[in-house]
Amino acid sequence: MMAFFDLFILFLTDAWFAWIPAVGFAMVFNVPRKMLVYCAAGGAFAHSLRFLLMHFSLPIEWATFVASASMGFLGLYWSRKHLIPRPVFTVASVIPMIPGSYAFTAMIGLVEINTSGYSLEIMRVVMENGLRTLFILTALSFGLAIPSILIYRGRPII
Amino acid sequence: MILSKEQQTEITRIAVFAGQILHQHGAESRLIEQTTQRLGIALGAESIELAITPDAIVITSLVEGHCVTTTRRCGDRGINMQMVCEVQRICVMLEKQLIDIKEVKKRLHRLKPYKYNRWLVVLMIGFSCASFSHFFGGDRAVYWTTFIASSCAMVIRQELGHRQHNPFVNFALTAFVATTITCLASVFEIGENPKIAMAASVLLLVPGFPLINAVSDMLKGYVNMGIARWVFSTLLAVSVSIGIVAAIELTGVSGWAL
Repeated sequence: MMAFFDLFILFLTDAWFAWIPAVGFAMVFNVPRKMLVYCAAGGAFAHSLRFLLMHFSLPIEWATFVASASMGFLGLYWSRKHLIPRPVFTVASVIPMIPGSYAFTAMIGLVEINTSGYSLEIMRVVMENGLRTLFILTALSFGLAIPSILIYRGRPII
Repeated sequence: MILSKEQQTEITRIAVFAGQILHQHGAESRLIEQTTQRLGIALGAESIELAITPDAIVITSLVEGHCVTTTRRCGDRGINMQMVCEVQRICVMLEKQLIDIKEVKKRLHRLKPYKYNRWLVVLMIGFSCASFSHFFGGDRAVYWTTFIASSCAMVIRQELGHRQHNPFVNFALTAFVATTITCLASVFEIGENPKIAMAASVLLLVPGFPLINAVSDMLKGYVNMGIARWVFSTLLAVSVSIGIVAAIELTGVSGWAL
């Protein structure tokens, strides 16, 4: 019971810290003011769902895929309700899950190899981070595209 | 409905203008193609064919065997979802016959990109990167270091963007400033693990939207657009990492996560 309670608290803090970047980046993308609250809800939902799935020891790529696919369906519902294109909600909501840190680490590793010479240790860092970036990002976009790939298949959503 | 040559030209112009707006403000290729086609067909064309390239669109309208083709350059105007929403709304209203062709033209030309108050954006981006530092396991001192560094970085990014500087220069300089601030925090040993602030404070420079658009374009069959977007965002990430490395070399703080 206690473990469940602790997990719930962690889950809530995760959701709380996830809505902030979702709204912040939505503002950089100039999402209309009325839609910001949906971006906040979507960001909190997607990131906390991924946290939960990873807590139950799903690998990060699959957790990301499931979270972003659910976000895709949620975005589908909102988009049909408000007649607003889907990327307006979905992209800002998955921004907190983007593997930015891995991407920069891989790039910095490449620069490092150039300056200080090849070493197996740095190359390992570059490959691991680069591949992780690639797979998480693909899972993310593929998950978001699931509704239009599987259900709509080329027909317009709104 | 029989359309004269002039009317067909007019329809083509309106459709290509809508496509151009969508392209310039960062819509994905499927959305550009569908919206332009729906608009043209709702205005009376038999079909609209569209070729989308990374910096221009070519469109041909077909009416009773006559073709009208036109090309527009599409310079990048920055991602603006509000413009995409407005164009989509005009398209839906036209399809439901709530507005006519004159009204469509008037509304499309009246569209102005809405921008949030820049200081509000700076504040929110500061808190966003600070939240990322929390996700990486930073304590409260690291949280506020990240907040300050990424807010300053965002101010610089907006200033340079406002003066139409090259995006690569912009991102490299911004990353340099953010990393210099967090490196200084690392020198003075603020917080338990100042390295976390270094990683989190540059996350405002992740080209997330182009990356997601790139993969979804490729998935939906627009491989050339996808590759162009992917290369663009990779180059942005490279220039960010050059800015970070320059700042690390300057302050002499050893090591990113390496």
